[in-house]
Amino acid sequence: MIESSRARLLALLPLLAAVALAAGCATPDKTRYGDAKGIETVTNQFGSTDLQMIAESMTRSMLQAPVIISGNLPIVTVQEVKNKTSEYIDTRAITDSIRAELQKGGKVRFAVDAAAMKQQVEELERQQSVYYDKEEAAQKGKLVGAQYRMEGSITSIVKQVKDVKDVYYKFNLQLWNIRNGLLEWSDEQEIRKTTTKG
Amino acid sequence: MNRTWTIVALLAAALAAGCATKKGFEKPGFAFGCPIGDARVSSMEDLVKLKVVSEGKRTTIAPTEMRCTMTGDLLKIDTNLNNDSSRVKRIAYKFRWMDREGMRAWEEEAWKPLLMYENSNITVSAVSPTNKAVDYRLILMSQE
Repeated sequence: MIESSRARLLALLPLLAAVALAAGCATPDKTRYGDAKGIETVTNQFGSTDLQMIAESMTRSMLQAPVIISGNLPIVTVQEVKNKTSEYIDTRAITDSIRAELQKGGKVRFAVDAAAMKQQVEELERQQSVYYDKEEAAQKGKLVGAQYRMEGSITSIVKQVKDVKDVYYKFNLQLWNIRNGLLEWSDEQEIRKTTTKG
Repeated sequence: MNRTWTIVALLAAALAAGCATKKGFEKPGFAFGCPIGDARVSSMEDLVKLKVVSEGKRTTIAPTEMRCTMTGDLLKIDTNLNNDSSRVKRIAYKFRWMDREGMRAWEEEAWKPLLMYENSNITVSAVSPTNKAVDYRLILMSQE
């Protein structure tokens, strides 16, 4: 009886050793902060580096447009950047970054855009309610219209063979004069990323 | 009378030409159009040394020329980068902007990847984000 238990234990020994070894080797997940402005190449999908590069190059290019250089603090409204790629890209994040950079530079003013209009109207109506001091409350009919509208698109061409995937992005941004319909400024940024397996 | 004035004008022109340095008539505190402050810059090499900084892994890509100009009230910089090796090189670069007091005039830029073919030159251009940025550094890092 004792002999058979000992034999069974001996048979289990390698398994127990393997389990102990695996437990000893397993490293816990490690989380560290990284450089938010660093180059990200985890996959070849649209990433943070692409967004930052596009926002920066478009902003710097637009700052050289004659309508901005003139120093008249043009009023701009942000319209849609159409995503014509096959992947999901939050194009609003790109235009938000461009708007933040331009606003910080102090050369452009932004009028409320279509996406934020609902909140703007709601707040105006709230201030017009009986709860607010009529003297202090914001009045209806005082919104300032934009002189220019900013719109654009992002397109991609994806090619893949067995071990190689090539992605080409083209981001185009335009600044249109709302009054006369003239295109005042336009620029493009191209990005190519290639991933090779193995 | 006329001849005297002509001689005086010619002498003045000759004097001016003789005094002109190789930088030409440049504003004090500028070299090749680029702001240098009180630094002594007598050649393009000096300017590149003053303005280019290496961070992270060093790269063998060498900036060979740097010129600046004003576009409106913003500083525009053109830098020529040279890869004289027989291999494709991958680097990252960014500009750092400083104000009159030497403080950061803008937040840190994103690193921009750049591929350079063997034996090739690329001109990297940048425009300052604000007119408060009156000085700059070009930061290079290897991506190999």
